[in-house]
Amino acid sequence: MSAHNQGTELGKGPGLWAECEVTWKHEEAKEYCNLEGSGKAHREDLSWISKIQVNQPAVLRRAEQIQARRTVKKEWQAAWLLKAVTLIDLTTLSGDDTASNVQRLCYKAKYPIREDLLKALNMHDKGITTAAVCVYPARVCDAVRALQAAGCNIPVASVATGFPAGQTHLKTRLEEIRLAVEDGASEIDVVINRNLVLTGQWEALYDEIRQFRKACGEAHLKTILATGELGSLTNVYKASMIAMMAGADFIKTSTGKETVNATFPVAIVMLRAIRDFFWKTGNKIGFKPAGGIRSAKDSLAWLSLVKEELGDEWLTPELFRIGASSLLSDIERQIYHHVTGRYAAYHDLPMS
Amino acid sequence: MAATRVGPRACDIFTTMEYGPAPESHACALAWLDTQDRHLGHYVDGKWLNPEHRSSVPCQDPVTGENLATCLLAQAEDVCAAVEAARTSLESWSKLPGAARAQHLSRLAKMLQKHQRLLWTLESLVTGRAVREVRDGDVSLAQQLLQYHAVQAHTQEEALAGWEPMGVIGLILPPTFSFIEMMWRVCPALAVGGLRLLIQESVWAETLRRLQARMGRLRSGRGLDGAVDMGARGAAARDLAQRYVREAESLGAQVFQAGDVPSDGPFYPPTLVSGLPPAAPCAQAEVPWPLVVASPFRTAKEALAMANATPRGGSGSVWSERLGQALELGHGLQVGTVWINSHGLRDPGVPTGGCKESGSSWHGGPDGLYEYLRPPGTPARLPAPSENLNYDTFGLTVPSTLPAGPEAGPSPAPPYGLFVGGRFQAPGARSSRPIPGADGSLHGYVAEGGAKDIRGAVEAAHQAAPGWVGRSPGARAAVLWALAAALERRAPTLTSRLERHGVGLKAAKAEVELSARRLRTWGARAQAQGHSLQVAGLRGPVLRLREALGVLAIVCPEEWPLLAFVSLLAPALAHGNALVVVPSGACPLLALELCQDMATLLPAGLVNVVTGDRDHLTRCLALHQDIQALWYFGSAQGSRFAEWASAGNLKAVWANAGHPRAWDQEAEGAGPELGLRAARTKALWLPAGD
Repeated sequence: MSAHNQGTELGKGPGLWAECEVTWKHEEAKEYCNLEGSGKAHREDLSWISKIQVNQPAVLRRAEQIQARRTVKKEWQAAWLLKAVTLIDLTTLSGDDTASNVQRLCYKAKYPIREDLLKALNMHDKGITTAAVCVYPARVCDAVRALQAAGCNIPVASVATGFPAGQTHLKTRLEEIRLAVEDGASEIDVVINRNLVLTGQWEALYDEIRQFRKACGEAHLKTILATGELGSLTNVYKASMIAMMAGADFIKTSTGKETVNATFPVAIVMLRAIRDFFWKTGNKIGFKPAGGIRSAKDSLAWLSLVKEELGDEWLTPELFRIGASSLLSDIERQIYHHVTGRYAAYHDLPMS
Repeated sequence: MAATRVGPRACDIFTTMEYGPAPESHACALAWLDTQDRHLGHYVDGKWLNPEHRSSVPCQDPVTGENLATCLLAQAEDVCAAVEAARTSLESWSKLPGAARAQHLSRLAKMLQKHQRLLWTLESLVTGRAVREVRDGDVSLAQQLLQYHAVQAHTQEEALAGWEPMGVIGLILPPTFSFIEMMWRVCPALAVGGLRLLIQESVWAETLRRLQARMGRLRSGRGLDGAVDMGARGAAARDLAQRYVREAESLGAQVFQAGDVPSDGPFYPPTLVSGLPPAAPCAQAEVPWPLVVASPFRTAKEALAMANATPRGGSGSVWSERLGQALELGHGLQVGTVWINSHGLRDPGVPTGGCKESGSSWHGGPDGLYEYLRPPGTPARLPAPSENLNYDTFGLTVPSTLPAGPEAGPSPAPPYGLFVGGRFQAPGARSSRPIPGADGSLHGYVAEGGAKDIRGAVEAAHQAAPGWVGRSPGARAAVLWALAAALERRAPTLTSRLERHGVGLKAAKAEVELSARRLRTWGARAQAQGHSLQVAGLRGPVLRLREALGVLAIVCPEEWPLLAFVSLLAPALAHGNALVVVPSGACPLLALELCQDMATLLPAGLVNVVTGDRDHLTRCLALHQDIQALWYFGSAQGSRFAEWASAGNLKAVWANAGHPRAWDQEAEGAGPELGLRAARTKALWLPAGD
């Protein structure tokens, strides 16, 4: 069990809903995290999943409002932006990735903000790095080597299971996870099989994710729902629940390769699912929006969304990540402006 | 640099992750107030007037109590000057083509857009409301409203051909009115209030938990802060809320307060009150802002009964996963606006209004336009000059009626009873009044009805109302047509009665014939009641439903004893109302004659006809709290009394102010005005989505 998983076992006592007390005793909830449970109890639970309904117009309206309702300025903005930096899974997922750009990325992960800017904010000794670097399985070795060379223990996350479409055989998808873990990835971002969601095969989906979980071993499991391809918010909720029940440490919005990526309505549904799961089982599951989060302002909106929906305790790398590649440079520019009062040229800041 | 600043530093905030202040500068609002020397006069005829020797009222910041400006208290002559100015410009304004008026309106919309910051900061500063609420909601909606009405003005000549402007409109806005509500001209009683919330018992605990979690995240603060959910409404509002909560607590209610509330200033946290016994005094009172009172219910039927058991009827929302059930509840709620699975949506094209004590005027959409327009073919009428009317004694006592002398003929004329509950009944007073014919001879006796008879009639009408509303429009039309046929069969009797009343034979025949036609006309119209579908901002339609008012009281005019009676009865029945009717005083016999047919054709109690002293009966009807609308056609004094007394439950009143109506003309006898008055609108929002 990884250090992160310890964090997910905070709540004690039986779940809130009366009917859950039978099937969701704390011992069992603990068991499924270890993947030793029989799975029978959870199967029975899947009947309530099909009854879930999401009120889409209300979600859309809340999504519209929440972006306009919270804003942070000045010192608060700077602090929040630095917090956002520590939550970033700094990502490169391109066909032309090689050892050299992966190495650059790793150094940027170690030194995300220029040292003098951090000093001005009195944050230089706080060990500010990104939360992880995220690469394709074949680049895990490069990333691990580069980070070792930089002398830091930032975790390496690898996408897996036929990313981004997931349309490969289960056997190869599982093998992909094992190989990435062998190469030193301590976090695995798996994509779920959209086919199973769209055809309503919730039990099969549950079984697949449990197998992913098992293949991960000690590594952290993030489950990408690819919400842009699930068809409805109700499906997003159901898939979120199934993933959490099957043992995901994180649920993640998208691969960044779909036409629609991390959107607020989808996020609200997923966050509510996380909260319901927490209320039911006492387990805190993490959330990772990814895809299309490019500006510093966007990142602030995501922070306040999580703060509003789940509370401050979720604002840590153990429970909240932002998957992004170009976001970091915009945040660095904003910090530069906050410290110096000037807008930076791109060459003022080191590239990643 | 950062280290030298006061207040928390970035490295501290990094740990706490708290929100900081995000103040909106209100410099432009203050600068504008300064251009007025912080002293606002009356805006009349395009100028700011500052008449002397007027007392002034301060306009304060509700959070700090700081004086922002002073306003003048107007006197009668100031109002006269304003009305005079309005009357002068009405001449030119109403003669402008619609397209030109549309241009003015859209120019005003553009002005709002250009100076929106001034408007939202000023509004937030003065009312204490959260700035983002004003900025994102009110200001943009105000622009949309102007644009919508610009379009209406543009198409007015075609779409509303023949409808004329009312003239000079006086608007009286209550103190809690905000800028946007001025734009809406929303009726005063719709004013702000808290919420009462009904939750099904089976999901009670879960819902409250979610509600509390959400409330815990609300932020209160100075309205001008950009990241605040709730502002403050001043010390008085806080004290009111405090009193309510204390009383609820003393009665054993559970109180949950949450949210981030600044300790300085008159802020009050969002509060959830549950377990309040329904019979507690404060459970009946209006819930003050920012309180929510939650009560459990067992079944949908019980929820409907609880929701309708309040004198207010502004708006409500229904949350249910089952659309069928939500629609059923939406239909049943006695309110002006119902949102299904959503709340607080507004659109300029969708009417906003209410019923019961939330008032019966409408704003926005076609209904809002009708409020300010005269129907085609009706002459402009100024209100009758005011004369002293003693509201306490009007119609209080009934002059005694004595027998009209010895009765001649073989058998005495039998007195008509009161037609209540589907049959003729003896009046409570056990006395009758003689009705003389045109030649002075006795035409017949009618019952002398009184307060108790009115009470009985209203009860009978309430019993009949649900059944009648439940009938399909087609079934209602069939009944009206059957009544028309019965009226035609009775034509010889009706004609001779009209003749005895002094109407010429030809005219009498024409009146009977026209009366039958009216019944058929409204029967046909009942099938097309004007329900309509609109598409609003959010995806999904808004149903504009035309619903029955409930129990409608009609005081018929003295003239046209048959035609006026039928012309009023037909639209009222067609739209599903149950009636209590006071027929013409001079000749009530025709209405009673028709009652003999209604006894067999209509459900018992649907139409009740009470004869007697008109002023007295008007008083009884106007003061009755359980009548939803009152139509009065009689004297100017009677009209004024009807309007005054009806304010008790804000029932919708339609009074003729003493002006006679041309009942034989299509426009006044069967025009669209009658249809508009006979039903109320309900806007049912149906947001789409899975």
